[in-house]
Amino acid sequence: MDNHLQLHLALSNTSTHNMLKKRKFDESFSDDEMTSNKRTLPLLIWNDNRNLDSGCVDVEGDAVVGWPPVNSRMRKVAEHHRRESTASNYVTVDNGGGGGGLNWMYVKVEMEGIGIARKVDLGIFGSYQALTATLMAMFGKRREMYKLTYRDKEGDWLLAGDVPWERFVRSVRRLKLLKKVW
Amino acid sequence: MAYSFPEEVLEHVFSFLSSDRDRNAVSLVCKSWYDIERWCRRRIFVGNCYAVSPEIVIRRFPELRAVEMKGKPHFADFNLVPEGWGAYAYPWIAAMEEAYPFLEEIKLKRMVVTDESLELISKSYKSFKVLVLTSCEGFTTDGLASIAANCRHLRELDLRESEVEDLSGHWLSHFPDSCTSLVSLNMSCLGSEVSFCALERLVARSPNLRTLRLNRAVPLERLANLIRRAPQLVELGTGAYSAEIRSDTFSNLADAFSACKQLKALSGFWDVVPSYLPAMYSVCSGITSLNLSYAAIPSSDLVKLISQCQNLQRLWVLDYIEDSGLDALAASCKDLQELRVFPSDPFGAEPNVSLTEQGLVSVSEGCPKLESVLYFCRQMSNAALIAIAKNRPNFIRFRLCIIDPQAPDYLTLEPLDAGFGAIVEKCKELRRLSMTGLLTDRVFKYIGSHAKKLEMLSIAFAGDSDLGLHHVLSGCDSLRKLEIRDCPFGDKALLANAAKLETMRSLWMSSCSVSFGACKLLAQKMPRLNVEVIDERGPPDSRPEGCSVERAYVYRTVASRQRLDMPDFVWTHDEDSSLRYS
Repeated sequence: MDNHLQLHLALSNTSTHNMLKKRKFDESFSDDEMTSNKRTLPLLIWNDNRNLDSGCVDVEGDAVVGWPPVNSRMRKVAEHHRRESTASNYVTVDNGGGGGGLNWMYVKVEMEGIGIARKVDLGIFGSYQALTATLMAMFGKRREMYKLTYRDKEGDWLLAGDVPWERFVRSVRRLKLLKKVW
Repeated sequence: MAYSFPEEVLEHVFSFLSSDRDRNAVSLVCKSWYDIERWCRRRIFVGNCYAVSPEIVIRRFPELRAVEMKGKPHFADFNLVPEGWGAYAYPWIAAMEEAYPFLEEIKLKRMVVTDESLELISKSYKSFKVLVLTSCEGFTTDGLASIAANCRHLRELDLRESEVEDLSGHWLSHFPDSCTSLVSLNMSCLGSEVSFCALERLVARSPNLRTLRLNRAVPLERLANLIRRAPQLVELGTGAYSAEIRSDTFSNLADAFSACKQLKALSGFWDVVPSYLPAMYSVCSGITSLNLSYAAIPSSDLVKLISQCQNLQRLWVLDYIEDSGLDALAASCKDLQELRVFPSDPFGAEPNVSLTEQGLVSVSEGCPKLESVLYFCRQMSNAALIAIAKNRPNFIRFRLCIIDPQAPDYLTLEPLDAGFGAIVEKCKELRRLSMTGLLTDRVFKYIGSHAKKLEMLSIAFAGDSDLGLHHVLSGCDSLRKLEIRDCPFGDKALLANAAKLETMRSLWMSSCSVSFGACKLLAQKMPRLNVEVIDERGPPDSRPEGCSVERAYVYRTVASRQRLDMPDFVWTHDEDSSLRYS
């Protein structure tokens, strides 16, 4: 297809363009290929989900990095509304408001050795660091002395920090701060 | 003639020139005008912090009072720029500390700002007045505490959309009682609760406060008291707009709003309880700007609100507004200039709301002054785009995002070339365009032929070959910023248009077909272009010849092409050995 390399106004290329378009049309839009065509976007070859913790939401396992082009603030808003609409996943509902239907992402937080638990809205944090800092401030303790654990939606207790933040927020149901023994 | 005018007179004349373009033009007239101008320039805008160095700026403009600067390229907003790439504010802040003791304003966008930088700012400038940090990151609320505590004459503290590590809300309490100069405070991006007493006292002692944007942690019950203390407010961002439905809370709020006769802009509205929206109705007729992009409000309540705002000029809203809401907007708001519709569920496979291309068509029909649009939707047709272009040839900014990249015209299954072609052909003043959908090289031919005033173009998953890129680079006379992702554009178009790149601020290409060899060649040919290869897979020359680089970021610069803060995943031309990249 060497006439592509002649980079001038391409009246003579019209037929080539039509050919290209036609080929693409035939290739791309035969019925059962319609969906599979979407799976062969070139970028999926190099997208190995390494950007997950910086906000690319892994929806069906083959999400496109940075697509759709919404910034991190909007992504958080969308995530919040998505949680809202699957309300059966909610454990704690602590909404001062009637009606409106939008709850904050409150979870219970216990600290080992302290009788009264607290509640915190995970929706306002963007990172483990921010969450831990606030929790420490709430209980008036020093960060180095406690480790953060959580119970996920399957009921298991895990150490916080292993999975990217946004995945954590979606699976956490309760938090517990345990004293470090080492 | 220059010598017959004393310098002071020329300086006085120049003082009426505020636009950078005018001042730049003036400085090219002759040497003495260049010299006079540079001594009296007070404001500077640097569109790319790496296009120039602090030393060069300070040498040329010794008496600046205001500096505005941008760092990372726009696609950083969508995580396409790896962390650690650069755009650090500190070297600039440190250099300016000595050079500009009378600096009053610093405005930064997409830069990494540390607490050290903020502390340095707060302690270095006796008359510091304005700090605006848009989409910045790297600092904590401790840095804010320094600013609050030390900047005695602070007028503006605006943290738009920045990522702040929120250690606590204490920072606000650091504003001394003697601070009464605040005009604008935007803390909407922060998470922590600040002391409401401290906030109320601060607002009460700031008679010039025009802009107050609260964060989500300020509950609705507190809003009335705050507004009461500042009835002169022009721009208000609420906190969470939800509370138990109580008539006293409602009437308190409604009363407070009705005292705000100057209110023009509203934002905030997290967690909206729609029953509280009517509390604002008394101010709606004066509202010109409404930002509801965090608010999940059903279409019917939105319509009720919007139909009160007949003077609305700018609306940012989620797609909950639906086509029906946009029809109502088109009917009520004839002064509308800017519309942004954001997706409430961008990652969902199925549409969750009834918002289609029809909404945009309605607004383009009904709103004669509409000139700027950002629209997320799930389907588009050439017919709709052609209609929009015919209705609204006055578009200046047109940004369309179809959630499914490469979606064709849903009616005909054809590419959307003709639709976007109509946009660029009819909208002769178009300065910014973002396109999505199934697009071939043909759309770029249209753009190259018609979009003569286009300054910024964003392309994703489009085009067939280098010809597409070539059409844009050779045809768009006013192009300044070009950002491309996932397009089959490569070496030939780039190298054939190397000279064009020096007339632009920058070119971003990620997941395209640009080879390392072409990047090296480009950097060799064009000594005033910095060609950054940003590739996290390791040294680019360790891969086969034809392999494409992950990202190429090309920008003109008069500074060194080996910036000292380059991380290990960035390669640029090595000045010492012209054929090797370091």
